[in-house]
Amino acid sequence: MHEKSTVIENVRRALGRVEPLASPPVPPSIDEPITRLVSSDIGLPELFAKMAEQNKIGLDRVTVDQLGTKLAAYLKAKGCDRVALPNSPLLNQLGLLESLRAAGLDARRWDQITLDELYDFDAGITDVYAAVAETGSLVIRASKDHGRSLSLVPPIHVAIVEPRNFLPDLIDLFDKLAIDSCGSNTVIITGPSKTSDIEMNLVTGVHGPTTVQVFLLV
Amino acid sequence: MSETLEQQPIDKHTQQFLQQAAATPFDFHSISVKAAGDERLKRAVNNAVMRQYTGRQLRLAELPDSDRLRTLAGDIKQHTLDHLDYYLEQFAANVERNGGHVHFASTADDARRIILDIAARSNCTRIIKSKSMASEEIHLAHVLEHAGIDVVETDLGEFIVQIGKDRPSHIVAPIIHKDKASIAQLFSEYFGTPYNDDPEALTRQARNYLRDKFRRADLGMTGGNFIIAETGQICVVENEGNARQSLTTPRVLISLVGIEKMIPRLADLSVMLKLLARSATGQHMTVYTSIFSGPRREDEGDGPQEFHVVLMDNGRSEILADEEYRETLRCIRCGACLNACPVYRKIGGHAYGAVYCGPIGALITPLFQGLGNFKDLPQASSLCGACYEACPVKINIPQHLINLRRDITRQKLNGRIERAVYRLWARGLQSPLLYHALSRLQKWDLRRRARKSGGWIRTMPAIAAGWTQIRDMPAPGAKSFHQLWRKRKRSAHAREEHSH
Repeated sequence: MHEKSTVIENVRRALGRVEPLASPPVPPSIDEPITRLVSSDIGLPELFAKMAEQNKIGLDRVTVDQLGTKLAAYLKAKGCDRVALPNSPLLNQLGLLESLRAAGLDARRWDQITLDELYDFDAGITDVYAAVAETGSLVIRASKDHGRSLSLVPPIHVAIVEPRNFLPDLIDLFDKLAIDSCGSNTVIITGPSKTSDIEMNLVTGVHGPTTVQVFLLV
Repeated sequence: MSETLEQQPIDKHTQQFLQQAAATPFDFHSISVKAAGDERLKRAVNNAVMRQYTGRQLRLAELPDSDRLRTLAGDIKQHTLDHLDYYLEQFAANVERNGGHVHFASTADDARRIILDIAARSNCTRIIKSKSMASEEIHLAHVLEHAGIDVVETDLGEFIVQIGKDRPSHIVAPIIHKDKASIAQLFSEYFGTPYNDDPEALTRQARNYLRDKFRRADLGMTGGNFIIAETGQICVVENEGNARQSLTTPRVLISLVGIEKMIPRLADLSVMLKLLARSATGQHMTVYTSIFSGPRREDEGDGPQEFHVVLMDNGRSEILADEEYRETLRCIRCGACLNACPVYRKIGGHAYGAVYCGPIGALITPLFQGLGNFKDLPQASSLCGACYEACPVKINIPQHLINLRRDITRQKLNGRIERAVYRLWARGLQSPLLYHALSRLQKWDLRRRARKSGGWIRTMPAIAAGWTQIRDMPAPGAKSFHQLWRKRKRSAHAREEHSH
């Protein structure tokens, strides 16, 4: 308590005030025309695909019927065996766990393994909270279905994106998050993990996934 | 409620280290001359900063009006600073509502004690730390190491700094001064493995080593690029994923942030994020932008069980009190001013002798650590204005550097001889008679010197010696501009007389 009052008192005094402000200050309004980069709802999947490519996110367009087979084929081609999935309504409804198992993969529900075990998995599958076309980003919000680790710990992250997930601009994302709240953790993912620390040489795959792949439902 | 904490004494070695660091006199001149002569360093720094610099320019062009967006970002930060007491209260209340703990630290010492105390009370001994300038500012990794805690810097660059017992030399790219050969050598010695200077192989080696650390850590530490008053959230941006590891795996999470990192609303992030990565590295977004608040919720399967925010003042409120310099606290640590600066490009970051380097370092280091200790830094600029042009929150760095130079004179921090010379100069400029006498004397002396060495002045005495140390100067003409002007006017007058 003591330190809190000291720091805030010092700040208040520094600003030349004795008493707390009587009413909340009003911050400058966000000037949309100079902030917004994408203002149209038309062509969002195309823009997202273009930006995702720039970000080195792989993208496949699939129908709901094809998803199970195509996803299993993709994972096998990447040499995956152990795959973790969230307990999410979308992925359950798509029956992904079953189709991956039927294809011979060791697919597990995320809530039935420990975080430590996840370090030995080859791939994590998630759905997304939103996909931002402006930046080609995937947004994942922690909930009881979705952890923070599924899209982080395994070397391959596969995201299932629905057409309704698309948002034009970061402005729209923060508008949506202001209503839904960010929960305990929201992450905006804009590509596979990378570094340029050593002589500006770009190396993909550091502490997060080396590969990020989107399956876009059409 | 923020908690009262038992004060823990800091380790003796740490104390020694910190005292030594504080006591070593800073000599910008000799260190920068040395750095400027280091060809390898110059090449490495130039290569890196030029890439980020051109990347920034290309990316800013994507914005509808980058200049006005920078003004808006600066206005938002300025507004927040002007009402920081309000926003601090709001932020703290919201963090606590989200189930987190808020700690206020007036000084670096307070911050270090608070963090050591949290680690001790929650029995944490294995810390994974992601990159943060606030933690650099208080030498946190050293303090934790000396307290016997297994602490590892997990950003690749910072990891290389840590195992090499080095210092970061760029706000965004900490090992910009190192080439891959020296990193390969370091890894070979540290891990006892064969030398391999392939960046991919080096990165993979660090990844494997650190992955094990992530898996077993019990405490994660992050900084914060922005803290959001209306929601009590912290926003961290990064490319590698190590900060995400810090806030995912360990059971305790501590975020150490300077109080000036505040923004009022979540929506302000759209303005800030569109500028930050573009200005820093020429990316449109960093790979990961994490926005987090509090511990994991009851039904969530991962994330910390305990969450602490340490809000650090450490000299910021003093800068806040000075209305002239207050805007320097807008800084969002993007490093664009470093990349733009012709002086930084020649000498690198270490020459600035402090955690914050480049133009912003030349400005805030004297403000944080005393102008008397760093009176050379405000001179470490050609005042070309490239830093102001690059700044995403429009801090007028060159103007503030001039103001600091003014303060040096006002506080009589410059040398006695220098002051005497300037006094004489001022007197000379005020009296035409004295001015002419002095300039004639000077001209005579310079021409005399030039005659001895083939028309060029190669050496000058005393304090003027610096001018001719690395360059020659041509001799002044036989007649001064004043003399020529007078002569011209006289002959024009004569011609006029003549024609009438």
